[in-house]
Amino acid sequence: MTTESHSTAIALSEPAPAEVAAGTELMLKVELTCAAGCELHSLPLTVTGPDDSAASACHINDNGEVSLRIPPTVGPQSFTIASGPHEAAGVRHEPCSLSLTVNSIPHGTSLAVWDIPSPIVKGERLAIKVGAKSAADAELKGLEIAVLDNGEKVVARGRLRDAPWPGTTALYWDEVELSAPGEEGLHKWSVRFDAEGLALPHDGTAAEFTAVVSRPPEHCLTVKVIEQQSKAPIADVQIRLGPFRGTTDPAGIAEVMMPKGTYDLHVWKTAYEAADRLVEIKGDLSVQVEAVFVPEEDPDNAWTM
Amino acid sequence: MSTQDRNDKKGASPALSRRSFLSKGAAAGVGAAAITGAAATEAKAEIKWDHTADVVIIGAGVSGLAAAITARDHGVSVIAVEENYDIGGRGILSGGRLHLGGGNAIQKKHGIKDSPDQVYADWVRFDANSARYSDRDLVRVFADENLATYDFLVENGVEFIDRMIGPEAASTIPRTFVTVEWHVPSELIAPGRNRNGSGLVRRLEASARKKGAQIFLRHKMMKIIREQENSRRVIGIAAMNGSNPVNIQARKGVIIATGGHTGNVNFRRTFDPRLTEEYQQACEPWVHQGGDGELAAMELGASLWATANQTREAGAAITKTRHIGCRWGYSSLVYQPESPMFRLARATGLTVEDWQNVIFVNQNGKRFWNEVDGSYNFFAACMAWHGDKTKLNGGGPIWAIFDADAATREKWNTKPPNVDPDGYFFSADTIAELAGKIKNPYQKQPMSGAVLQETVARYNSFVAAGADSDFKKPTPLYKIEKPPFYAAWSTPILHDTLTGLRTNTNGEVIDIRGEAIPGLYCAGEAQGGFAQHGLARCLAFGRVAARHAAGRTA
Repeated sequence: MTTESHSTAIALSEPAPAEVAAGTELMLKVELTCAAGCELHSLPLTVTGPDDSAASACHINDNGEVSLRIPPTVGPQSFTIASGPHEAAGVRHEPCSLSLTVNSIPHGTSLAVWDIPSPIVKGERLAIKVGAKSAADAELKGLEIAVLDNGEKVVARGRLRDAPWPGTTALYWDEVELSAPGEEGLHKWSVRFDAEGLALPHDGTAAEFTAVVSRPPEHCLTVKVIEQQSKAPIADVQIRLGPFRGTTDPAGIAEVMMPKGTYDLHVWKTAYEAADRLVEIKGDLSVQVEAVFVPEEDPDNAWTM
Repeated sequence: MSTQDRNDKKGASPALSRRSFLSKGAAAGVGAAAITGAAATEAKAEIKWDHTADVVIIGAGVSGLAAAITARDHGVSVIAVEENYDIGGRGILSGGRLHLGGGNAIQKKHGIKDSPDQVYADWVRFDANSARYSDRDLVRVFADENLATYDFLVENGVEFIDRMIGPEAASTIPRTFVTVEWHVPSELIAPGRNRNGSGLVRRLEASARKKGAQIFLRHKMMKIIREQENSRRVIGIAAMNGSNPVNIQARKGVIIATGGHTGNVNFRRTFDPRLTEEYQQACEPWVHQGGDGELAAMELGASLWATANQTREAGAAITKTRHIGCRWGYSSLVYQPESPMFRLARATGLTVEDWQNVIFVNQNGKRFWNEVDGSYNFFAACMAWHGDKTKLNGGGPIWAIFDADAATREKWNTKPPNVDPDGYFFSADTIAELAGKIKNPYQKQPMSGAVLQETVARYNSFVAAGADSDFKKPTPLYKIEKPPFYAAWSTPILHDTLTGLRTNTNGEVIDIRGEAIPGLYCAGEAQGGFAQHGLARCLAFGRVAARHAAGRTA
């Protein structure tokens, strides 16, 4: 019996990504075709990777993909996907191959900084929480994070704890203490995470946070908020005077401790309006704010007989 | 999801199936057009009519049902075709507010003095955006029909809650009252959400059927048929019932009651080119608001009218998304899991009580406006060009960014069915990671994690300082800092259609040369000239059009 020879070709059916994170699996869309039109989807392939001394076997899956394992190192990675020769039922499918190079890159990392008190009294100690996350969800426990002041000087260090922050998938965190600067005003810090010592290569990252530093509060401002028409107290009104804040209680009263100075007093509650006013704090002070109820009809209000 | 999966309690899917019908199939549509188009160009005698009635109404929503009853009251036969699997249109999803005055019985009961002249005077006010652009001839008709329309509702069994609301919009006295919600939960589209308009349309449906009006469900109008190609007289419609073409003869008139056009991106951009595809339509997926009636009439030379109303920047043509993290988060409309629409809507959304709890960012991850503002300035900022050289019109998606503390303050459960994680809601452990997760059909390019992180850090500095230096948000209250973090779809959503076909005071459609097209009428949101929000104008002009059509010589 004579054997018929068919040439074959293997090609990408979608472009390969230029960059792939190190140590991950890359699903590559490929097509294996026969010049005579034979269906070759199920034929076994071999993949030779950059670290492989011998080729490994694989198949094109139902999605038309071949799996490539990217080595856990950074840099160009070359692969060869080969087919055949295959001979069956008097047909020989000639060998073919596809070579490609993808760039393996480090995994990203990112940070969150929370529970930052503000305002803080100058010179006092404060505690913040810092969390770090690997894009590969890598375990980061034990790694160091550093807090730097605006002059890039390290002012605190922390070491990520064993368990992720509740409610997150893999945000490893620590509480870090630092001292407030001695000057009033809005201050900026940064958190740096170098992500060194992980099994997979990672890039480090940084994030900024801010807080207001103030003089020590000396006086109590008592704000009472009432509804203009009914004179009824309004609870849960947010009181703001620059960085200082409070919330009214059921009696419509909020007490805010603050240093001497002149401040714009703002109040906020959904569906209420009140004009801003200027208050000068020279000692303890009580003020009353009248807010106008501006009803916003809830479109989900029930209409009943 | 298979087509079968989408099927509703009555065995067919509504708007989605219509869209799918229109897109995939254009194959079916082309076939239909070939048949009906041929019919339209042939002499009247050669058309094979499958059904005949004196008056044929396209659409069985509020205006269509009012027209159907009125036609029967005038002794003529009626067929109403409805593309959906059930009647109601947008009316069945409405709050059931009726803006009718003139000194009607409920106003009198509550001691409110009103008159048709006062209705007219209010709704032609020069100092009200919602009134100044209207056609005063049509407003006069509306004013004069207020009392009769109220009586019409009472006579046809519509029940009202005994309470007056207002003044609203251009009205200077209370004229708004609310219908009683329909009492059969299985016949509601948005149960449990006080969609009292169901009581209006179900009562009108019952009355229409009792009086002998025929309602053909799942019949989509494909074309309005003229007597001959060069004749102006309208003699019927061509429709599709599934894959079956159906020609319906109208001896006296065809009334377009198809609703608005806000679901038709190409058509709505006639009035505002910014309204590109990312802006969703309030009553989808129940109704599509495809502008079918307007387009069919315009193919016959019909004119649009009072188009300034569409961009008058008053009312609810475009609204803030109130329920974030789902595709359709319109103010008062939520599809609960028990709704037949829920499988398409996929989420109820997270209802925002205080906009201080979120910041808005555009598709680039940048803040662009004060979040507590809900004015048209806010919408203009949303639709502004954000530097995307591949998309010059429309502003792209708007995302609400918030943190775990905000979710606690708002008492949000950030899991399905409250949110739609398939493109409209995302969560992550950090802000930078969150940006990378945002993938949505309208998000044309990835959001930069660095940019979003910088945006949030800057906003947090405003909170610390107590002042928003960028957009003057009053008293920025809460930092976005505690993980996990969330991004929720908050792109403004479209609602009212405020312009449409030109008609005369009888509801007859006027062509681009200013002449009535014999036998063609329009009412409801498809009608231009009077852009009052809500149901009243639909009822009034549905009655006007049907009354005139019934009186025409066949």
